[in-house]
Amino acid sequence: MKNIHLVFNFKSALICLLFFIYGAITAQTSFDSLNIKSPKHYFNTLIVMDAYRKPDRAFKDTIPPINKRLKSYGIKQFNLSFHIPLYTKDIKETDGAISNVHLLLTGNYLALKPVFDGLSQHKLVKAGIGLRFIYNTGRKGLWFFEVSPFVTHDVTYPSRPYYRLASSAIYSYNFSDKLNMRLGVTKSFLWGNRLYLPFIGFRIGRLDKVNLSIQFPRCASLNFPFKSKYIFSVYTKPQGGMFNFSNHDSLYYKKTDATFHFARYEINTGFRFDVRVSTHFNFYMASGISSRNNISFYSERANKGRAGIYSTYFFTKDIAPSLYFNFGLVFKFGKTKSFYNNRNIYDAIDLNNTMGQNNGNAQIPLTPKKKSDYNLKSVQDLVDYNDF
Amino acid sequence: MKDLFKIFVLITVLFSTEQLFAQTERDKVEALRVTFISKKLELTSSESEKFWPLYNEYNDKIKAIKRNLRQSYNRKGLNASNEEAEELYQLDIQSRQAETDVHKQYSEKIKTIIGAKKIVKLRLAEEEFKREIINSIKEKSE
Repeated sequence: MKNIHLVFNFKSALICLLFFIYGAITAQTSFDSLNIKSPKHYFNTLIVMDAYRKPDRAFKDTIPPINKRLKSYGIKQFNLSFHIPLYTKDIKETDGAISNVHLLLTGNYLALKPVFDGLSQHKLVKAGIGLRFIYNTGRKGLWFFEVSPFVTHDVTYPSRPYYRLASSAIYSYNFSDKLNMRLGVTKSFLWGNRLYLPFIGFRIGRLDKVNLSIQFPRCASLNFPFKSKYIFSVYTKPQGGMFNFSNHDSLYYKKTDATFHFARYEINTGFRFDVRVSTHFNFYMASGISSRNNISFYSERANKGRAGIYSTYFFTKDIAPSLYFNFGLVFKFGKTKSFYNNRNIYDAIDLNNTMGQNNGNAQIPLTPKKKSDYNLKSVQDLVDYNDF
Repeated sequence: MKDLFKIFVLITVLFSTEQLFAQTERDKVEALRVTFISKKLELTSSESEKFWPLYNEYNDKIKAIKRNLRQSYNRKGLNASNEEAEELYQLDIQSRQAETDVHKQYSEKIKTIIGAKKIVKLRLAEEEFKREIINSIKEKSE
């Protein structure tokens, strides 16, 4: 009797399970049988073109003598960067949460023209391709990993290319929609040297509303989105890098060295205005004061064998503050899954943006002003004709 | 570099055409709808983190089904041959069934997260927003 009872229980459980699986499959099949293609990713493919200009500053010092050779310093910079989502997987958790993994391919081409009046014009190129892995736990946390190998090369004159690797590992925690903290480590060249830095982030305010965001060592900003199309920001952020520089002008006294390193950093403090022209295109303008300007020339030979920072340089100089101008175009491609009010996806987009392109969080939807003039075309997914 | 710049200026102009603004309008309405529902539901932080991903997924599916059917009608519709009309008829039946299946499947999942009371609030909020849209269109056409 006991056995019969057990068999019955097993059978009923099996039938229930089959019924459940059948139900789940048919619900899925009926959708799939329609053969509807839906977007796979949460991230758009994004291309950003960024132009940066800082007017020349004359060098008045004559000691060390390299000052006299260089005469002045200014910057012309063009940056083309992109990210493409390669892989996205949603995982349905037992408690109803949806976690997901994202793999993004990133790329960057930066052409820097440091303007030294006493030297011939050099074009220093940094080009890299990288991978980003983001794991959204579907609850409060988010993991972000990045490896970004790149090459720097002075393409104007004979020089040796140099290969480097930037990387980051960050954990982001959303206490609520309005409060976020991030902790991690980053290997970065942004401050003009090979630095291993802690990443400490803090944000108050929703990403689609007014928010204050401090993301060391990347940026600090106060953002004011308005009218669903515009974002006005006041910000401060470092900008810089390490580049290869051809010794064509014999700036380094050891003429046997064909290449040395040119490092620069500055702190840009100013305002930025982002305009979302259409679903697929945004642009931004920024301007302000560039302070804490520093340039250095390092010999690779003199720093050989150092695992950490480069500390033996043959020229370094702090330069007086100056104005800067920045202009950028942002192109978005493809359709994505919806993620309205999904704070973890917003956070993933923001983190991806903070660590890379600085595209003004082009993907995060802003709340528009209440409309009173709907047209049928824009609401046809929501309203059936028999609703009238 | 100058040529590259010209190409991108051209792309910029192309990317700003009117057709793409129509898409922006649709996004705007969706953002408004989500804000409207969000205010009405008053979700807790833990409800919110699970509800919105699921609700977005549900909406994506329902919209995809509706759009697929609408596009099929627009493509073949009035000039459909007997065979095509039969196909359209079958698609119509399947689509409505799929909508019901998706609705049921996701409603059950959403119910486990926010409970039955808030599901009722959700449906009422959806209807209220829809009514606002309809009234606005009606007023405009009068």
